[in-house]
Amino acid sequence: MTAPALDYRGVGFAYPGGDPVLAGVDLAVRAGEILLVAGPSGSGKSTLLRCANGLVPHATGGRFRGEVVTLGRSTRSHPPRRLADAVGFVHQDPESHFVVDRVEGDIAFVLENLGMAPVAMRRRVEEVLDALGIAHLRDRSPGTLSGGEQQRCAIAGALAAGPAALVLDEPTSQLDPQGAEDVLAAVARLNADLGTTVVLAEHRLERAAPLADRAVLVAGPGAAATRLAPGPVGDVLAAYPGAPSVTRLGRLLGWDPPPLTVRDARRLAGADPRLAGPPPAAAALPTPGGTVVAARGVGVSLGGRAVLKDVDVDVRRGEVVALLGRNGSGKTTLLRVLAGLLAPGRGEVRSAGRAAYVPQDPDALLLGPTVRADVATTPRLLGGRDPEAVDEWLAALDLGALADRHPRRLSAGQRQRVAVAAIAVGRPDVLLLDEPTRGMDAPSRAALERAVAGVAARGGAVVLATHDVELAARCATRVVVLGDGDVVADGPSRTVLAGSLFAPQVLRVAPPFLTVEEVAASLAAPARGDR
Amino acid sequence: MDPACRAGVLAPGPGGPVTVAGQRRSRTDFPRPAPRGGTTTGIRTGGDLCRGVTLRLRPEPVHNVAVRPASPPLHAVAWLVWAVAAAASVELATSPVYVAVVVGVAFVVVSVHGEDTPLARAFPLLLSVGLAFALLRVVLTAATTHTGADALFTTPSFTLPRLLGGFEVGGPVELGVVLQSAAEGFAIVGVMAVFGAFNAVVSHHELVQSAPRAFYEPGLILTVSIAFVPATVATVARVREADRARTGGRVVRRGRLLRLVVPVMETALERALLLAESMDARGFASGPPTRADRVAGWCVLAALAGLGGAFVALVGRARGAALALGLVGVFAVAAAVAVASRRSARPRYRARRMGARDWAVAAVSLAAPAGLAVLALSGDETLRWAASPLRLPEFDPAAGLALAALTVPAWRASP
Repeated sequence: MTAPALDYRGVGFAYPGGDPVLAGVDLAVRAGEILLVAGPSGSGKSTLLRCANGLVPHATGGRFRGEVVTLGRSTRSHPPRRLADAVGFVHQDPESHFVVDRVEGDIAFVLENLGMAPVAMRRRVEEVLDALGIAHLRDRSPGTLSGGEQQRCAIAGALAAGPAALVLDEPTSQLDPQGAEDVLAAVARLNADLGTTVVLAEHRLERAAPLADRAVLVAGPGAAATRLAPGPVGDVLAAYPGAPSVTRLGRLLGWDPPPLTVRDARRLAGADPRLAGPPPAAAALPTPGGTVVAARGVGVSLGGRAVLKDVDVDVRRGEVVALLGRNGSGKTTLLRVLAGLLAPGRGEVRSAGRAAYVPQDPDALLLGPTVRADVATTPRLLGGRDPEAVDEWLAALDLGALADRHPRRLSAGQRQRVAVAAIAVGRPDVLLLDEPTRGMDAPSRAALERAVAGVAARGGAVVLATHDVELAARCATRVVVLGDGDVVADGPSRTVLAGSLFAPQVLRVAPPFLTVEEVAASLAAPARGDR
Repeated sequence: MDPACRAGVLAPGPGGPVTVAGQRRSRTDFPRPAPRGGTTTGIRTGGDLCRGVTLRLRPEPVHNVAVRPASPPLHAVAWLVWAVAAAASVELATSPVYVAVVVGVAFVVVSVHGEDTPLARAFPLLLSVGLAFALLRVVLTAATTHTGADALFTTPSFTLPRLLGGFEVGGPVELGVVLQSAAEGFAIVGVMAVFGAFNAVVSHHELVQSAPRAFYEPGLILTVSIAFVPATVATVARVREADRARTGGRVVRRGRLLRLVVPVMETALERALLLAESMDARGFASGPPTRADRVAGWCVLAALAGLGGAFVALVGRARGAALALGLVGVFAVAAAVAVASRRSARPRYRARRMGARDWAVAAVSLAAPAGLAVLALSGDETLRWAASPLRLPEFDPAAGLALAALTVPAWRASP
C-alpha cells in the first residue's frame, strides 16, 4: 500500500470566535483516486479542503488541531506557499485566480515561484496546456475567457507544479452546464491519463458522481464534521438528499447498488415491473389567472448583436414559468426586459403589476451587517409596508438560523437564498429569478422550490431562468425554451420536457414520470386504493 | 530518448497539428511529483533536446489567428519608452493643436495594437477620467480666478470662510480664464490618453519581469491592482442594476450611495483575499529570506532614517546637515535596490529580449521629445499657447513632424 496522497490526522478546526467546524477528522486520500466531497452548504466542505494546503489555518486564523501531511510535509510547519509543489488548489470563483494577464504566463507563475529552470518550465507549460486542452487559449487574457475556460486555466495553473494532489473546491458551481461539463471532463482525463489524485467538492452531483472513485459525506451544519467515512459513491450518496435523481430513484425502489448514471438506471428500470404502473394522474394544475406581464414582439440588440428577436411571452398569475436555453440564448435579457430594467428596442412590455428581479450575482445585493437587515432593506425602500414579511421570508428560505450572521460570511448557496429573500420580501406581483440555484445544495433548492410554489399559490407569478432541468421538472407549471433569441417551445412543463433531448433524469429512465416524487406517489397510490 | 520528443518528431510537418497520439504520449510523460530542487536538472536535459521541436510544432488552431497579431507584440520596455516619450511631448508642447495630435496618435496606437483585454477596454474609461478632471479644473479655475477682463456671464458669488482661505467663489466668468484653463486641462487629457494607451497595449507582466529584481514583488502587486479597475467597473454596473431591481425598476435616492458603495467595496475586498490565497497557494514569495533580503532591509531602514533626518534638519534650517543626511538616504536607497537585485535571479518564463524592432521603436519615439526640445530651445513660439491676447493656436509643421514620430509603433503592424 502506497502512502496516501493527503493524510488528515485528527484535524479539528474552529474559525476565530466560532464553533468548531471540524473535529477529530481522520481521512486518507489514496494516491491516484478521485475523492468526491459532498455535503450541505456551510457544512465544512470548503474548510476541509482548505486544510489540505494549509490555507486553514495559515490564511484564516482560528483554533487548529492535528495536521495534514503531504509528501512528508505537515501543514503545521509549512504555510501554503511552501506546499505549492505538493498540493494544487483551485477555488470556486474562476475570475479571481489570475495573477498574470496571459494564460500561459499565469500557468508558469507557480514554476517561476518555485525557481524551475526556464527550459524545463517551457516544456512543462506546453504539457499542461495539452493536458487540459487549452493550448488554443495560451495567448489570451484570462479576463476575456468564458467561465469554463477560466476554470480549466486555473486548474492548469495549479497542476503545473506536478502536485501530489489537486484540490478543487466546487470548481463548477459558478459555471453553466457546458462549462461544467468541460471542466469535469478535463479533470477525469487528468486522473485517467496522468494518475493525478483529485479531491473534489461539488453540489451538482449529476455529473461529478459518476467520475469519482470514492465519496465522503460531510455532516450538516451545526454539528462539527467528525469521523469522515469515505466509501463507494453509490452507497455514500444513497442516503443524501442532494444525490442525483437516478440515485434517489434507485434508493426508492431498493436497487442495489444505487445507480449513478442514467445508463445504469435504465438497465435496472427495464427489469423493474413497478415502473410499468399507471402513469401519473395529470396533476391538477391551478388555473392561471389574468396576465400580469406580457412581452409582445420584443426585440433587443446589445453591442450590435440581436439578443432577442421577436419574443411573445405572457406570464399569468399563479404560474411558475421556467425559462430554459443555452448560454447566450437571451434568458437574462428577457428577464431584464420583463423587469423593466432594460427598454426593448422593438415591441413592448405590458405590465399589470410590479416585477422584481433577482440578478445572477447575489453579492450585488448583500449590504450587511446582518442577513435580517439585508432582507429588511427592501420593504423599507418600498415605504415600510408589512415588516412581518421579513420574518416570513427568512423562514420560507430556511434563513432563520442565519438571520444574525454577516451575509458575506455565508457560503455561495446561502448568499443566493439571502438575495432571493431580499427581493421577494417586497411582495412583487412577478418574481423574476436568474439562475437561482447556482451553488445551492439540495435542502436550499427544496426551500426555494417551496417558496416559489408559495408565491404562485398566493396569486403571484414566478419566472425563473435556469439551466437546471431537474428544477424545471419539479417546480415549473410551464416551460419556455429560448434558442438564439427566439421562443422555440412554450407549453406545460410535462409536454415540453417530454419532447426534449435534455429531459430530466427520471423522465429518461422511467417515462412518463418526471420526478422521483411522482414515482413515489404512483407506488403509494394502489395501497391507498385497497383501503 | 524522451517520449515527448519522439512524439513531436513523428508528427506531420512544421506548423501542422500535433496528432492525437502525439498529444497523448506527451501527456502520459507528464512528470510525477518529485522532491523540490531535484526536478530541474533531470528535466532540463529533456527540455534541451526538445526545445527546437516544440517551438516548431506549436499547434496553431485556426480560430486563434484573428486574435494574435501577425508580428510578435512589441517589448514592454519599448512601450514604456514610447509612453514616456509621448507624455514628455505633451509637456513640451502644451498648445491644444499638438495635444490633439498626441491624443490622435494614442487612438491610432490602441486601434492597431490594443488586444482584447479588460484593460484595453478600459482605455475610454481612463480618457473620460482625464476629461472629468479637465472639466473640474475649468469650473474651479473659472469660479475663482478673476483678472478684471470682460465677463462672459456672472454667477452668484460668495466669500469662503477664512479657515478655507477666505477668497471669493463665483462672480464674473471670463472667456480668457475659461479658455486658458481648458487648454491646460486638455494637456491632462493628453497625458491620460497616453497612459490609457500604454495600459491597453503593454503586457504588464513583461514590464514587471523586465524591471530590476528588487521591484518584482511590489511591481507584481501593482499590476494585479491595476487589473482590479475593469473588474470593479463591472461590479459597479451590476450593483446599480441590483439596486434598481430591488424596487422593481424604481430608483430610491435616499441612502443609495451607501447601498452602492458597500457591495462594491466588499466584493473587491473578497476578490483581493481570494487572489491573495491563489497567489499563496501557488508559491508566491515562498523562498526563505536570504542574506541579500536582510541587507536590503537594513539599507531601507538606513534610507528612511537618513531622509527623515534630512527633513527634520530642513525644518530646523540646518542646510548642511540636511544635505548630508539626504545624500545618505539616497545612497541607502540605491544600495537597497542594488543588493536586492543581486539575490539569486528569478527564473523567467519565455523571457524576451528587446529585438531590433523594439530598439527602433524606442529610438524613433524618443526623437519626438528630442525634436520638440530643440524647437523649444530655438524659440518656437507655437509650442505653448496663452489665451491672452486671444488668438487661434498656430501649427508649426516641424513640430508636427516631430510628433509624427510617435506613431512609430503603428507603422509595421498595420497591413
